[in-house]
Amino acid sequence: MNWRHKCLLDLDDWTREELSLFLEQANYMEELLNRPIKKVPALRGKMIVNFFFEPSTRTRVSFELAEKMLSADVVNWSASGSSVSKGETLRDTAWTLESMGADAVVMRHGAVGAADYLARKLRKASVFNAGDGTHGHPTQALLDLHSAWKKLGSLEGAKMVIVGDVLHSRVARSDIKAFSKMGVKIVLSGPATLMPRDITCLGAEYEPDPKVAVKDSHMVYLLRIQQERQRQGLIPSLDEYHVRYGATEDLLKFARPDALVMHPGPINRRVEIASEIADGNQSIILDQVRSGVAVRMALLYLCVGGGK
Amino acid sequence: MILLKGGTIFDGKNILQGTADVLIEEGRVSKIAPSIEKEGVTEIDVSGRIICPGFIDIHVHFRDPGFEWREDIQSGSRAAAAGGYSTVVVMPNTDPPVDNAPMIEYVNSKGAMTAGARVLPSGCVSRERKGELMAELGKMAKAGAVFFTDDGSPLANTNLMRTALLYTRDMGVKIMEHPEDSYLTAKGQVNEGLASSLSGLKGMPASAEYIDIAKGIALCRETGSPIHFTHVSTRMAMEAISSAKNEGLPVTCDVTAHHLSLDENHVMVSKFNSVYKVNPPLRSQDDVKALWKHLSQGVVDAIITDHAPWHEDEKDVPFQESPFGIASLECSVAVVFDTWIKLGKPVDLSMLLSLFTRCPAQLLPDPWKKELGRLEEGCIADITVLDLDESRTVDLAKWKSKARNCPWGGELLSGWTTLTMVEGRIVDSGVESYV
Repeated sequence: MNWRHKCLLDLDDWTREELSLFLEQANYMEELLNRPIKKVPALRGKMIVNFFFEPSTRTRVSFELAEKMLSADVVNWSASGSSVSKGETLRDTAWTLESMGADAVVMRHGAVGAADYLARKLRKASVFNAGDGTHGHPTQALLDLHSAWKKLGSLEGAKMVIVGDVLHSRVARSDIKAFSKMGVKIVLSGPATLMPRDITCLGAEYEPDPKVAVKDSHMVYLLRIQQERQRQGLIPSLDEYHVRYGATEDLLKFARPDALVMHPGPINRRVEIASEIADGNQSIILDQVRSGVAVRMALLYLCVGGGK
Repeated sequence: MILLKGGTIFDGKNILQGTADVLIEEGRVSKIAPSIEKEGVTEIDVSGRIICPGFIDIHVHFRDPGFEWREDIQSGSRAAAAGGYSTVVVMPNTDPPVDNAPMIEYVNSKGAMTAGARVLPSGCVSRERKGELMAELGKMAKAGAVFFTDDGSPLANTNLMRTALLYTRDMGVKIMEHPEDSYLTAKGQVNEGLASSLSGLKGMPASAEYIDIAKGIALCRETGSPIHFTHVSTRMAMEAISSAKNEGLPVTCDVTAHHLSLDENHVMVSKFNSVYKVNPPLRSQDDVKALWKHLSQGVVDAIITDHAPWHEDEKDVPFQESPFGIASLECSVAVVFDTWIKLGKPVDLSMLLSLFTRCPAQLLPDPWKKELGRLEEGCIADITVLDLDESRTVDLAKWKSKARNCPWGGELLSGWTTLTMVEGRIVDSGVESYV
């Protein structure tokens, strides 16, 4: 199978076959990471720019690690202290990057569609969406998929519950696409003020009560609640949120006893997740982080390195 | 003297049987007859085409004064003529805003010097367009304002809306309301529904439009003053207007060419191309269907462009950072007729034509109410010739407008105007040599 994607903007046009092939490739990369000498020359001579308009730790670091493992030349460019803070537009920045000869740009940006916009402006370079506003975070979805798949094997017929601020969550939107393509049934839960208006068009169902929602679920995915939601008046308080929707032992007993607990990080303890759950044996939160590097290596290898 | 030969006549209300010639002398239609022979006239063959009263667009933004790099009265007027319009009403949300009589006179005098469509001014309802105190509406009416509107913003202050309605009740100049509840649309980017759910962008719910319209209807009922709602885009709002009209209230409304032809899917399919970012946002497919339904039932009083020109540097940015607005003056007529043809002609042709002519004229104060929107012997020679069979590609490079923020660039559309005339003067013929 030839790899046809040059960019990853979101997962809409990835097929199930491509996702399966991708997961195998990520496994292979994970094996590489376990070797004593991790570095391989797959992207030697390629220049990759990491371009982060918003703060990010795990996504930025794991992209950078992945690039370095594959021997790419890496440039980190942040918005603050650069030409962007002097008022340069994204269009001009894009053309500047291309003139410098970037082979790929990894971008996180606060605006929905920013990655699509950048890809339209660049003629040659690959674009990887590391998060565009509230819209998409496809590499997070791929690493979530990879870590769940490693634990569960086939995902066909499995049930995943996503609890929290789906309305503002780029992670939820990309996860719904990735997991439902693999045959997972998705149920969303959380206060109606944090739900999109049209849940059906996302390909998911809504159950307001998380205790009902998690019944028979194989995966319980908690979304990060930002303090801003309280300031916006969408929830009365973070504590009320924790009582009604937080992942606690009390909630988890309604799920399957072996249900995986997932979270994109960074976690807010005692808001969307209680410490005993975050640190408990059902949690695969740190496995997700580990998958992040392998998944991003697989992605860069397939899209920039010519793949297989 | 100009003689239009062999066209079908639309008199503003009905399409007349057979074909006719139209003779234009000294800015007036002097004769309409099956066959006119006259020496020394410029003859123009319009066979197979429809001769209409000049098209009227009661809602355009020419950004003049203050933002002339986006458009100005001259370029906008020429763009309007090229799009088939002989009269346009410019919105007052300029810098400074048009909120007093000297500003009305500025628009009038600059408009009088243009080579294109007739430019009629509207004035702000509120001083400095701040939504607080009434502007000098009476002085502006006397100077020639044809609407009062804070367009771009709603009259959020209910007391101001009520006061302005009462004050203008017998003035003959209507209040035009931009219906929006700004609390519900704050930071909104797209329609609340499919587009907001798939994109994560903040949605602007249909209720935001409905609530402001319901408020306006209640005040209309209480004051007895007419109110006009512009760029109505949702089923919910249309149903409220329809029932207010059935009640006999002096409520009128218009819809835009883009809300009749595009829906929120365009935002998604285009991968957030900012050319589709507009306020009110492109709505659901059901809303588009409802606009056509109410249009066919006579609830709609005018089709507008809400021509909102932006410089490419301002609009060519990621969707979320882009300003709202679509520029469409030079293709909106084709957009509407092309959509109408593709939908299987859900409305009588005469009704659709009247929404560009007689119906919007009826919304204007005298003398325009009496003079415009009709085609008969003795009337002012504002004429638009329409060719429903003409297919053409929208070529933005040739636009007279300064703006290019148009979703139909490169698209093949059917149903174009081929000649525009203002007071007997050809302002656009589709052929440079006439102008």
